[in-house]
Amino acid sequence: MEFPAVLFPSYFGAGPPGEEGGPAPVAGWGEHGQVLDGGPGRRQVQPTFVPRRGSTGERWEAVDAAAVPVLLPSAGCWIPSPARQDILYRSDLCRKLRVGKSGATLDFARQLGHFFVDHPEDAFGSLGRLLHKNFHLGNSQLKRPARNSTIRMTALVEDINRLEARRGCPRGHLASRLRWFSHLCRDWLFEVPLGLLADCLHEELVQQWSNLLFDDSLTGGALAWLCPEDGGTPVGRLVHPGGQAMNHLYFQDMVLEELPRARGSPEQFELNGRIRQVSAARVDGQDFVGVRSDYHCGVWRVPGKTGAAPAPLQVIHTDLPASCLTVSPHLPGELSVCTQSGTVYLWSVETGLQQLRHDPQTMFFRDHSPWRWSDFTAHPRVLSYADRTGLQCLDARAPKRCHFDLFKVGEEASCQQGERVVLPMYLGRAHPSQYLVTTQFSVYVLDERLPLVPVLKWAHMMKAPPLFAHLTPGKPGGSHKVLLGTSCTQELLLLQYRDSFWGVSSGGSQLACQLVGTPQKLHNIAGCLQHLPTQLPHRHHLLQQRLTAPAAGLTATLQEDGSYKSMLIFQLSEAGDVFCQRLNHKAAQPSAPPLRDEATTAPGSSPLFEAPASSPQGLAAALRYRRWLRALSRACREPPRHTWLPSLSQRRLFTHRDLEGPAGPSSPQRQMRQRLRQTMQEGGRIQCWEPLALQPPPLPQTLEPTGGPDPLSSRLTAAWVGDWEQWWEERTSFSVAQRQRALRERRRRQKRAHGYRSLSASFTSSLTYQSELSELSDMGPSLLSPGCPPILSQEGSPPPNSPPVCSLPTSPAPDEALLSSQSLRCRGIPKERRKTLRDYLSVWAEGPPEPPEPLGSQASQLCIPSSQSQLSSASQPRRKRPRMGF
Amino acid sequence: SSDEHKLNFKKSKEACLSYIQDALLQKQWKRAAEFLTCYIESLEKDYSREHIGPSEMIWRIGTEILWHHSQSSMKEFNCFMEQMKTLGVKRYLKVCLEHVFHLLCNGKIDEAYQNLSLAESWRFGEQTAIQDKEMKLIQAYRGLLDYCSWSKQKNILLEHGEDEFSDLAVEQEMHGYFRKAAVNLKEIIKVPGVWDVFVKCYVDLLEFYGDHNEAHQVLNEYAYNSKFPANPNAHVYLYQFLKRQGESKKSLISALKILHDIVPSHELMIDFNTMLQKSKKRKRRRLGLEVIFAALDYAGWKENAKAWSCLARQVKQIVISEKHLDWIKQEWHSRKDWWPAFHFSRYLAKRNWQENKSLSYEKALVAGILLGKDCKYFKYVSRQGCKAQLKRFRMLKKFVNRHNLTVYLRISG
Repeated sequence: MEFPAVLFPSYFGAGPPGEEGGPAPVAGWGEHGQVLDGGPGRRQVQPTFVPRRGSTGERWEAVDAAAVPVLLPSAGCWIPSPARQDILYRSDLCRKLRVGKSGATLDFARQLGHFFVDHPEDAFGSLGRLLHKNFHLGNSQLKRPARNSTIRMTALVEDINRLEARRGCPRGHLASRLRWFSHLCRDWLFEVPLGLLADCLHEELVQQWSNLLFDDSLTGGALAWLCPEDGGTPVGRLVHPGGQAMNHLYFQDMVLEELPRARGSPEQFELNGRIRQVSAARVDGQDFVGVRSDYHCGVWRVPGKTGAAPAPLQVIHTDLPASCLTVSPHLPGELSVCTQSGTVYLWSVETGLQQLRHDPQTMFFRDHSPWRWSDFTAHPRVLSYADRTGLQCLDARAPKRCHFDLFKVGEEASCQQGERVVLPMYLGRAHPSQYLVTTQFSVYVLDERLPLVPVLKWAHMMKAPPLFAHLTPGKPGGSHKVLLGTSCTQELLLLQYRDSFWGVSSGGSQLACQLVGTPQKLHNIAGCLQHLPTQLPHRHHLLQQRLTAPAAGLTATLQEDGSYKSMLIFQLSEAGDVFCQRLNHKAAQPSAPPLRDEATTAPGSSPLFEAPASSPQGLAAALRYRRWLRALSRACREPPRHTWLPSLSQRRLFTHRDLEGPAGPSSPQRQMRQRLRQTMQEGGRIQCWEPLALQPPPLPQTLEPTGGPDPLSSRLTAAWVGDWEQWWEERTSFSVAQRQRALRERRRRQKRAHGYRSLSASFTSSLTYQSELSELSDMGPSLLSPGCPPILSQEGSPPPNSPPVCSLPTSPAPDEALLSSQSLRCRGIPKERRKTLRDYLSVWAEGPPEPPEPLGSQASQLCIPSSQSQLSSASQPRRKRPRMGF
Repeated sequence: SSDEHKLNFKKSKEACLSYIQDALLQKQWKRAAEFLTCYIESLEKDYSREHIGPSEMIWRIGTEILWHHSQSSMKEFNCFMEQMKTLGVKRYLKVCLEHVFHLLCNGKIDEAYQNLSLAESWRFGEQTAIQDKEMKLIQAYRGLLDYCSWSKQKNILLEHGEDEFSDLAVEQEMHGYFRKAAVNLKEIIKVPGVWDVFVKCYVDLLEFYGDHNEAHQVLNEYAYNSKFPANPNAHVYLYQFLKRQGESKKSLISALKILHDIVPSHELMIDFNTMLQKSKKRKRRRLGLEVIFAALDYAGWKENAKAWSCLARQVKQIVISEKHLDWIKQEWHSRKDWWPAFHFSRYLAKRNWQENKSLSYEKALVAGILLGKDCKYFKYVSRQGCKAQLKRFRMLKKFVNRHNLTVYLRISG
């Protein structure tokens, strides 16, 4: 690529930016910038001049009135990120105090309280267990021997509740009892020392707050489009994150019809963290896809052929959060990684990591942001390295010695005060030596052959800093299309620039870079809200919340079919939704009136739904919307109570001593217990707690061919002592064939035994048969994914997908006597627990629970890696709390 | 209260502005124009201290609308611009400049010239630094237009060289343009910046009147003054000037050497390499090899057949003469870990063969020498070439096979 023979004139100064800064709402309009004459000294009547900005560009017009969903919403409801009101202190007093001050008050105490309530085990685990016996929560008076070592907490709890009721009241005096208690135990009660915990929480809160103001971890965007090698076919592959925690990576084949349509089911990978960035580049006919989460980066290879499966190549782990991952467009399997400590690595799949630079300080002046970025340049061994203050190029062969400054926030590029680099991007596909740099105010095009002086600058006027950019290169001489996207405001802007225009009069030499056409705003996801049919208010609220989720990525693809050109633009939201819109290229008609009436795009009108039949395209979009809305409401419907299996921990329900009873077991009790134990060993059930004489005929002998304890009782025992997981693991390793054989054997014996057994007994045995069957069918998912046994958060709870057949009573089995408060009290079970116990037992008495959820949703439940507790709290009806990274 | 009123006014102003912005970004020029007429009211109570006040906003938005509005005319545009010039003193020069740019882009050269002259004579109190810069630009653009007139006269004169009587007047007019242009152009190129257009014009003027020393000095200053940005064009202009002046090879080479140091991927590097290859001095031939290797490092040169043939020629020469194989070895040392994947992959062999046979020939030659005959690129291309019964590919195979062991072992060893 030749260097332009003549550049646009510009002043060049050095030093800090001089121009006073600030967001300027219209700064980008009405300027040509500079002009250049097409080549002086030629024999012509008049020289022709071209402007730096303002030439006519290509015309692209949106086909639909709004962006259209591409994929159906995934099952499971999206958990929104914390919002302002979640972490800010809400109080009238505070608001009054704050008037005039810009600082926000973070609600520290509330978050700490949330932590104690949501994670009691982590907060007070060991001491809670130790002191369990010494805290009495009942109303009853303590008896003498116990009184020496036990405190009654009831009053304390009441005080706390009262305090909760007066929350926010500035004059709410602490009860002296509470103060006394907190003095007493502040130093030793907590699992993590309170000071340390508070420090961590405060740090996290500040982090969350700054993320709310500007979250740069999403820089680069997590959406990529892979074109097939053979170009012409209207298919492609969308790479996007999904799942509740956005930790699943999907490679979805798409067919590009009027509206892009998913083909087949996607290739899916479950990752170890939230996916922040997906970047892709094509080298030698293969696509390399780099995926960044906070502490892990991975690379996949996708062969260029359609339908070829993506193969994961390598994963690296970083100690500090990675802030950037870019894939080399020059060499296969090379990437560059930056971490927040200011380290940049060249990562080669073959040779590993090479550290190019480590400098926690920023380059040109001091800036607090730990964000770093790096990308490739025209030279495969030279990488760019960016922080908020500018860009440098480093030679990987001698990074310490060979480097030069490419861009500085300063007078060199006539920046404004306070301007900071937001996203640099290598524009290699359009021009090998050009670079895009966006700041919160402007967008620059740089040429690495002329460092520091932008060859193009334009104030983009976006409301938030553009975190995403996508380049669609044009043909030689044509214009390149750059899409800029912001995160929280979801803005999308289409710019066109020409890296060179051919001077008519300069004998065909290359001239300088210019911005052509007018910038164009594209539909964003939230924009479709006004076109959607009216919803019930709470539905509308949910929908609004979903559609206005911050954008998380952006990509585009160009479709050419002869003279017909169109562009498809995909936008990803943090909720995992991918929306797309199509722009059609209109051949240049300088004086033609706009094809679409301006009124149709004015706010308030909704051509998308009101006249869908007018065009097949509109109809398709409307249909697509209906399907999406239906799927969304299905996915986000509050799950009916009974499908959520009650998960209670028996371990904390009774202590060992509770069960032992107050004054040693009496003889009928001992008898009963013995019976219970025996029945459990036999795998049978107890019909009623009547004396032995009324017992049903004895159950057939243990049927397990191995002769060991039968599965039911071993499972129960395991569940009882709390290592149910291990039991399950052993269980899954047991071969299916063996089990089937055993089952058949059992069935035969049962048939034989039929003759002399009573009705109730036969019912029992067929019931166990049922349970065996269900266990068998449960082998399905766990065999498919041996890596993730179905584990629920609470220890000792029954497996989610096998109904707890073992304790199914057909009669009101929990004996009235057992449940009466009298008997419970005499067992020393405190009053408030008696209720829990009764609830617990009555749950099992309610009859068989609903069959397990279909497989798909199950899998999605089971694969949430880290925020297990989040899931369980999500099932509770109260408002979801912001995730705090605990 | 009045406070609230102010606040509301501010709010409605902001809302109006956002509507305009929205309309502009969706190319709804009519709608934007309607909103703009409402927005004019905001001028009335302009208390804002923001760095872009309402008057500037109106200028910017109005200009943008008039550029694109289907019913706007040049006359209306001029009228609007004149109004805008009187609206803010601080921006007078800026608005003038933009007005001139618009006139120039629409071919209204004379009108633009008049506007520039008017703007130049504008005085208002003490000039700020920015106004000073804008004034210099205005003068420079006037100089540029003077230069254009000069060059027109010059062409007339050259065409009608024999008709002496009428020439005198034309010639005098031409000299007048020269003086005016030279004064203005000379001023701006003293200030650090990118002044390619102005420097070119000024040098052209000086050369025409035979002031080569001054021209040389101007170009030297433009290329080597450290306050100026590292503009490759400055070096290119100097090189072209030296070439026109018939300067010695040594000075040409030193000019290009500096260009090579700052932009190794400049397209003049091919000329540079050819020049160095022809040289008798060993050091220069060595530099030539370095230059062409360095150029081919860049992605933009990947498929440059000319560059590959330069490299192939030089490498072949070295191999045949069996002298200075260590040069290749040294160059290859820093590239052997990535050139094979970057240039000589099987995928590229296929593609180059399909798209450009002569490129694949040159590359295969280089690959065969650098990587031996087992290299994927060489194997693929030579096999295809032999299959297609192309004579030079057969020769290539023979050549590489003959020199294979000696060369490859010495390079890789």
